[in-house]
Amino acid sequence: MSYAIKQLSVFLENKPGELGFLTKTLSQGGVSIKSILLADSSDFGLARTLVDDPEKAKAVLENHGLSVRLTDVFGVRIDDVVGSFDRVVSLLSAKEINILYCYSFYESSSGIFIFSVPKEQFDEAVLALIAHGVEIIQAQHFYM
Amino acid sequence: MIWSKEETLPREALHALQFERLQETLMRVYHNVPFYREAFEDAGVVPKDIRSMADISKLPFTKKQDLRDNYPFGMFAVKQDAVVRIHSSSGTTGKPTVVGYTRSDMNVWNEVMARVFTMCGVNSEDTVHNAYGYGLFTGGLGVHNGAETVGATVVPSSGGFTSRQLLLMKDFGATVLTSTPSFALHMAEAAKEEGYDLHKDFQLKCGIFGAEPTSEGLKKEVAQVWGIDYHEIYGLSEIIGPGVSNSCKESPLLHIFEDHFYPEIIDPKTGEVLPYGEKGELVITSLTKQALPIIRYRTGDITALDPTPCRCGRTHVRMHSVMGRVDDMLIVNGVNVFPSQVEHVLSSIDEISLNYQIIADKKGYLDVLEVMVEVTEAMPMDSLGALEKLQKHIQHALLSNLYINAKVKLVEPRSIERSMGKAVRVIDKRSL
Repeated sequence: MSYAIKQLSVFLENKPGELGFLTKTLSQGGVSIKSILLADSSDFGLARTLVDDPEKAKAVLENHGLSVRLTDVFGVRIDDVVGSFDRVVSLLSAKEINILYCYSFYESSSGIFIFSVPKEQFDEAVLALIAHGVEIIQAQHFYM
Repeated sequence: MIWSKEETLPREALHALQFERLQETLMRVYHNVPFYREAFEDAGVVPKDIRSMADISKLPFTKKQDLRDNYPFGMFAVKQDAVVRIHSSSGTTGKPTVVGYTRSDMNVWNEVMARVFTMCGVNSEDTVHNAYGYGLFTGGLGVHNGAETVGATVVPSSGGFTSRQLLLMKDFGATVLTSTPSFALHMAEAAKEEGYDLHKDFQLKCGIFGAEPTSEGLKKEVAQVWGIDYHEIYGLSEIIGPGVSNSCKESPLLHIFEDHFYPEIIDPKTGEVLPYGEKGELVITSLTKQALPIIRYRTGDITALDPTPCRCGRTHVRMHSVMGRVDDMLIVNGVNVFPSQVEHVLSSIDEISLNYQIIADKKGYLDVLEVMVEVTEAMPMDSLGALEKLQKHIQHALLSNLYINAKVKLVEPRSIERSMGKAVRVIDKRSL
């Protein structure tokens, strides 16, 4: 059992067709995308994705000439009520844990927030949240 | 008008003067510069073997690498207390090419630059707007001193800040513009955009342009858009800086100041001296330099010499506008850039691979240089901010080491074109 979800960060140049190339490559490789976050600068972008099989996705993408990095992130399940997200962020802030980025997706009445924090603060963050009864998603949840 | 009598010496008298000066130069380098003594010994010659100008072909060549190998002052023929000025250009291995001047060298430089201005009809009544870069490069200060020597009013504006330059050119009533030809065109474009009337608002009568290879079309365009006479100047810091040759009012060919600089054209492959009229690499021997005399320096520039008499009355041989390079040197807005220099800078940065490509192009009339670098595993691939920081770091390293403003672009791995398994390192999209 692990809380570290392997997220793929893929370097993409800022030009038409780049994201399409990524999604086509994954789909033809039989990889399912669970969540995706796009970030861009003026010249390039990063596609951060959660998939059902990170190692396979990495191999497929690299075979097609893309640069891929696996990063550990964790997912937090939160009820869809006012203040629930704030509570999680406040718990991390209280421990002086730096949130690098965060993105979310919904599952009917609850939502999952994916957090990226510095590597050295990963365990501390997860333990702090668990100690306060926050539900952390098992990495296995995504790999199926 | 002609500045000095040496410019119209009958050829025989000129040859005699050249030979006398060559002998002095050879004695000086043989006794004062260990590099030359060794090079002469390797070639099996001593100064007294050179009995005529034609014998110069017995002497070994000097290359840019020799200056680098003897960095900083190993090629100097005088002691430091005699040196009054240092200039330098960027270098391949992090070591720049350093050149020095004694008081006498400065006088020669001022003299040849005064000839240049006089050749273009510039005198004390003129105002010279000098937009060549000031600093370690020889362009700005070399042109500056020559303009002062003929008594002109000099505006040392250096490069950049186009709007302000236009204002000063108009308000100070500049009659002469000195810059790279591409900057002159860039200024014309900017002036039009700002609503200036190029012919009414400015009093320019001529321009002295150089420091980059220039097509006939571009020259015509600069002359037309500003409504001025176009003069071309040639030079390189290893010889003296600007002022090795310049075109007079009679033709676009450039008179080489032969009483100071002895030109030869060689076959760049065999090193054999070619007759007048044939195209090859320009080789120059300095005849009067004190601090850094230079013997048979290979300029890397391809041109041809034309000995036919010129209507202007000057007897000095003329060279054609530079037609190309023998090496892979790029000239970007007047700055010399060797791809190997770029590679050296990139290799000093840990996170990047040496899968790179240099693309030279034109944006409007100015050169732009883009350096594409493939991303690698070693890069901070999960952070946009860190990648941008790396991009800026590379850009800054190129600027501080090579004095070039390159745009750095991170690209996907293996996206740089490979030809026959070998990466294409340089793409020059600019056409002459």
